[in-house]
Amino acid sequence: MSVTVEALSIAIGGKPIAADVNLDIADGERVGLIGSSGSGKSMISKAMLGLLPLNATVSGSVILGETQVIGASERELADLRGRYVGTVFQNPAASLNPVMTVAQQIGLPLKLHYDLTKAERAERVARMLGKVGLSADAANKYPHELSGGQQQRVGIATALITSPRFIIADEPTTALDSITQRQIVDLLTALVDDAGASMLFITHDFSVLARATTRCYVLESGRIVDSGVTAEVLADPQTPESKRLVSAARSLTLRSVDLHSTKEDSHEQ
Amino acid sequence: MRFVIRRLLLFVVALFGISVVVFAALRILPGDVASIMAGINAPASRVAQLREQLGLNRPLTTQYFDWMGALVTGDFGTSILTGRSVTALIGTRAAITFPLIILGLLIAMAIGLPLGCTAVLARSPRVRAAFHVLAIIGGSVPALWGGLLLILLFGKGVGLVGILPSQGFPLDGWGKPGSAIVSLILPALTVGIIVGASLMRYTRSALGELAGSGYIDMARSCGMTRTQAVLNVGLRLAMPQLVSVIGLTFASMITGVMVIENLFALPGIGNGLVTDVGNRDLIAVQSELFLLAAFFLAIGLIVDVLHRVLDPRLKNGGNVAEVNA
Amino acid sequence: MSNSHNNRAAITRRAYAAVALRTMWRRAEGKFALIVLALWLAVALVSLVWTPQSLWTTDGYHVWAKPSAAHWLGTDGTGADVFSWLMAGSRTNLLIVLLTVVVSALWGLLLIAAMVARNSALASTSVVVIDALISIPTVLIALILAVPMGASIAVIVIACGFGYGLNLARVARPAALLAARSAYVESALANGASGWRVLVSHIIPNNLPVLAVQLSLSAGTAVLAESGLTYLGIGVPSGVPSWGHSLATSVKLINVFPLTVLWPGLIVTVVVVALNVFGDVLRDAIDPVANPALRQTAGSAGKEDER
Repeated sequence: MSVTVEALSIAIGGKPIAADVNLDIADGERVGLIGSSGSGKSMISKAMLGLLPLNATVSGSVILGETQVIGASERELADLRGRYVGTVFQNPAASLNPVMTVAQQIGLPLKLHYDLTKAERAERVARMLGKVGLSADAANKYPHELSGGQQQRVGIATALITSPRFIIADEPTTALDSITQRQIVDLLTALVDDAGASMLFITHDFSVLARATTRCYVLESGRIVDSGVTAEVLADPQTPESKRLVSAARSLTLRSVDLHSTKEDSHEQ
Repeated sequence: MRFVIRRLLLFVVALFGISVVVFAALRILPGDVASIMAGINAPASRVAQLREQLGLNRPLTTQYFDWMGALVTGDFGTSILTGRSVTALIGTRAAITFPLIILGLLIAMAIGLPLGCTAVLARSPRVRAAFHVLAIIGGSVPALWGGLLLILLFGKGVGLVGILPSQGFPLDGWGKPGSAIVSLILPALTVGIIVGASLMRYTRSALGELAGSGYIDMARSCGMTRTQAVLNVGLRLAMPQLVSVIGLTFASMITGVMVIENLFALPGIGNGLVTDVGNRDLIAVQSELFLLAAFFLAIGLIVDVLHRVLDPRLKNGGNVAEVNA
Repeated sequence: MSNSHNNRAAITRRAYAAVALRTMWRRAEGKFALIVLALWLAVALVSLVWTPQSLWTTDGYHVWAKPSAAHWLGTDGTGADVFSWLMAGSRTNLLIVLLTVVVSALWGLLLIAAMVARNSALASTSVVVIDALISIPTVLIALILAVPMGASIAVIVIACGFGYGLNLARVARPAALLAARSAYVESALANGASGWRVLVSHIIPNNLPVLAVQLSLSAGTAVLAESGLTYLGIGVPSGVPSWGHSLATSVKLINVFPLTVLWPGLIVTVVVVALNVFGDVLRDAIDPVANPALRQTAGSAGKEDER
């Protein structure tokens, strides 16, 4: 699914969060949105999903496939979410429903959008559990009984169970340690590519971004200040904000090892 | 399970503590109960006789253990003033108070829960502000005045639409259930509206907090509308909190309706307790206070256990503070 | 040296209060709350020296009289002026509210100190005791007290102060614990500050918004409690003017002139609304996160300190 954002501006309670944001994502492309915390990236993703808080005002255009999101009714948006658009959230512990079992959680989008029998749903959920690398006995566990990495696998499974055409991943690895981060990013990109879906990957961390995306936009104080091929922006940042984010990623030696391996990966492709 | 045992143990300890406090308060605090009971101008012999009759001459520990021993066997003593057993006294009063507060709680839930949900679901800022004002005013009305206003509206004789009785309970109690129920409508409505306002505030704040949480975003991103997510996921997640609040509210209504029982001349538990305190009916007051306190502690216990059952995060030894953090 | 430091601290505190008040005044509901509370204070003070009729003028020929030019809200069963009693009631309620707030604040702080104490046995015991006692309603405590004490203002103040102090401690517990275990408290303790000093100079100031809101809610509840307890005959003794007394009188007036029933209850409601709203706007006004003006004051005061 191709995605076009034009002149998107957001204010919350009168306070401007994002202004004149433009971004394009081609069908099947993995694009990054990077910015430091407070730059407004999460609110942009919420605006694209129609999940902004009630005191937000928003203008501009967000077109997902053929649907204009801005001004659409909540019913139209709900039909889109979980069916054609999947979302992976930053902190699974604060987003996975604590009173739902893993199987119920992953099966929720199926239940809401498709008329399947219980057995059909259970079978699809079981297959999805295998795809995200969770054992079958995780199905009846509650989120709090899983580790952070396992929880995020449940989050990814929930986002992808309906084979959506577009995935928004909002800092999906921030709450995880660096080794788990890499596993989760690799899992997510592999599954998105398998499905042929496009993805917007939001992060503040260039080393993660390089692994997950081919192209990226750099956000500062609610405005896009830089954009281009991720590897190029990373190798030769043009704006002060890009430079700052890149050097922050490099300052961690452990992560810079990640960077090299990412480059090798992209050469292989 | 370990939690339940620990909580039960605390319950027993607290019960014991309360019994000591009630007993001590009525013996040690300034003012000789016997002389107050006898009246200001009573001769000393009358006071001494009363003291003897109440057993106030015996050592405090003997008095305490006699009282406790009787309580354990279900004997709450005999009212000195009326000569009736306190058990029977409480029984007839409970037959008024419990129907009243159950009716009141049902009305409160019928008002508070839907209004609280609507307040969270409403998208218009003006509607939300209106709910805010409503909640604050609802929590600021004195029960007495609320009752008076309802009497002025619906009370037989004085009301604008005088259709409902506003004084007393049928003398034959529940002999004629119809007239008994009718006599409870206005007082139950008074309690219901006031408690409903506070229930609405709780629902609004518990649900409102959840509505901005990742859980709701998650449910919506799976394909629910905001309304669906708030009503399905939000209400379910707010349930442990709401059950606690409703349980504790129910308990507090027993004494909370005192003023209303008094205003509508209903001889219920609260009203009776006030009468007994006014008469300095030591034995009756002592047992009634203890029973009420035990009732509150028991409801607190049940609510805590229910809270655990409803929240899977708490089942395996977690604690509430961690989950709420 | 330390004197000038104290002066500066006093100036900063006054500047803070001024900024907070101005912030509250700027909001419509804040204006409402401040005006109502100021009126209450003014009426209470005036009633000490003047009421339209003397409280003790009784007129056997005009008992239960309808409102007239001489008696704006009519007269009660002794022929005394209902309006004057209502007016004089405001001073009793003011006294009760102030005493209750002080008692509950002291009791609450004592409990908080126990809960955040280094002695873990004391800390855990106090938590358990608070949880157990908090389910006992204020009315019940008042009744226990009323058996030996009879109707008295002390019954209201002790019962409410006790109950609200428990509430205060429970509400403030998480924030107080956080403050007690924070780096600056650790360092203050390491530098030899006593536990009490830390409580007074670190933990309380850092929890001021929570404490202030809770106390102002308690003030509102105390007004409601007074009316209920006095009506039941275990609150303000008869012969002392109070809003509860006026409300109780108005119950008897219902058959004489129903509309006079509206006034005492309306006044109580408006004052309680004002106290609740006051708590809300106060929280926003004294919370440095929510109030940018306060941060500026803190910034400039900091600069002065440097000089």
